[in-house]
Amino acid sequence: MSGRRQHTYFRRILVAYDGSPQSEKAVELAFSLAECIDSSVLIFAVARPPEPATSVELGAVLDDAREHYEEGFKKILEKARPHNLDVKTDIAVGHPGEQIIHRAEVDGIDLIILGRRGRSMLSRMVLGSVSERVLRYAHCPVMVVH
Amino acid sequence: MQNVWVLASLWVGLALIATLLAIWFKISTALTEIVVGTVAQLIVSAYVSQGGLAAKTEWITFLAGTGAIVLTFLAGAELDPAVFRAKWKESTIVGLVGFFGPFLGCTAIAHYVLHWTTRSSWLAGVALSTTSVAVVYAVMLELGFNVTDFGKAILAACFVNDLGTVIALGLIFSPFTAKTVIFIVVSVGIFVVLPFLTPHFFRKYGGRVSEIEAKYLLFILFAMGGLAVWSGSEAVLPAYVIGMVLAGTVGKDHVLIRRLRTLTFGLLTPFYFIRAGSFVSVPSLAAAPMVFVALFFGKMSSKVIGLFPTVKAFKYQREEGLYFTLMMSTGLTFGTISALFGINHGIIDQAQYSHLVATVIGSAVIPTMIANAWFMPRHLLRKSVEEKPVAQPVTLSAERGNS
Repeated sequence: MSGRRQHTYFRRILVAYDGSPQSEKAVELAFSLAECIDSSVLIFAVARPPEPATSVELGAVLDDAREHYEEGFKKILEKARPHNLDVKTDIAVGHPGEQIIHRAEVDGIDLIILGRRGRSMLSRMVLGSVSERVLRYAHCPVMVVH
Repeated sequence: MQNVWVLASLWVGLALIATLLAIWFKISTALTEIVVGTVAQLIVSAYVSQGGLAAKTEWITFLAGTGAIVLTFLAGAELDPAVFRAKWKESTIVGLVGFFGPFLGCTAIAHYVLHWTTRSSWLAGVALSTTSVAVVYAVMLELGFNVTDFGKAILAACFVNDLGTVIALGLIFSPFTAKTVIFIVVSVGIFVVLPFLTPHFFRKYGGRVSEIEAKYLLFILFAMGGLAVWSGSEAVLPAYVIGMVLAGTVGKDHVLIRRLRTLTFGLLTPFYFIRAGSFVSVPSLAAAPMVFVALFFGKMSSKVIGLFPTVKAFKYQREEGLYFTLMMSTGLTFGTISALFGINHGIIDQAQYSHLVATVIGSAVIPTMIANAWFMPRHLLRKSVEEKPVAQPVTLSAERGNS
């Protein structure tokens, strides 16, 4: 196993997860890739606080996000078990694009996989696109799943 | 608008629109509710009914007031007593400076520059003296400062800062009489007893479908609010302190806090924030935009002037820029509560209220935007990682128990 890993370019894969069908697809793709090339997978979710935050709302948003993602993580880990994959999960708080880029750098990630939500033009203009930001700033290859 | 249910549907419909806007644009519901309240008041009073949203109707006033009380209680309950105990000295000093800087600075600006009356100026000082705990906490989570000593000290300082605001609001505008003495003595007694009585009561009778915990808390909050108003003070003062003294017990009861949040967000706070927005006069704002500019810069500069030497004294260096940016943010809750108190008690007029609310919103939104511009995404990029990472990703499960 370790012998194969030495020749694997994508040793560590980060999958951005938000519970959407696109991110589920990204997870599936990451698992099949990881199985082929023997990579470890980090399923990474980001809870985004409202701006400007108010204290009670912030607490509620973080609680909801934790429950939502932990529920999703459980299902994902169930799916990963038969394949005997090295899968980890984590949740961060902040702007999704920045947190994904940062985590990828800190963990020495070799490949980021994320789903594209296909938001409206208005939504992209106001909120920005997570996938575009990650593509622009990430230190490693990025795969966007449609 | 005489029909209660039509009026109720209008208000809840507005709350629904505000929530959708908050979801779409990923901004705070409180902010969208204030803005929707302002716009709806303009439209309804122009095209539907001269009374607009009828925000002074008694039952709307009651729901909005209850929203303010419960919201304040929950904000107080967010305090982490362990953090405060560990950093009480720095937190108290920084928090008090963070309060007195803008409190005195904005009062001076309002009085000497804008020529507001003495009482109006004090109220401006109170409304703009807060620091948004939530804005500070959200950015700290993002940057990973919440687990550092520095971050903990700042967070606890924000609570001290807000406590200063609430005490000033509760005591500065009421005449000091025998009623004030009774209020203070009874309050202190209740604040001492509650942390012991409440867990015992909840253990014995809690955990039932009848939601006795919520009734107990509402009873205490209403009773103490009633006492505060009777003495000429403000109902949110005891609510915030009760939240703080129960933070280590009730604040840790996750299920109860979630139930209270449902009640608060689902029914109470929309009435509170939409009502706060409905009193804003857009023509007054448009007529004198420089008032906003004066108050906004008064707040920013007085915060920095007050905090700069204090922070230096505690030998904080690298994070100062972030620190000042965050501490300049005004809390929407306490800022609007103070302004509403002013307009309800005739301390400020509608134009002054409008300027204060606009400044509260501005000083909540602009520092957040500055923080994003300064710290995003540069602090997350390779350079900062190579130098030594500013932030480590935060795991939610490691956060405070009640948030």
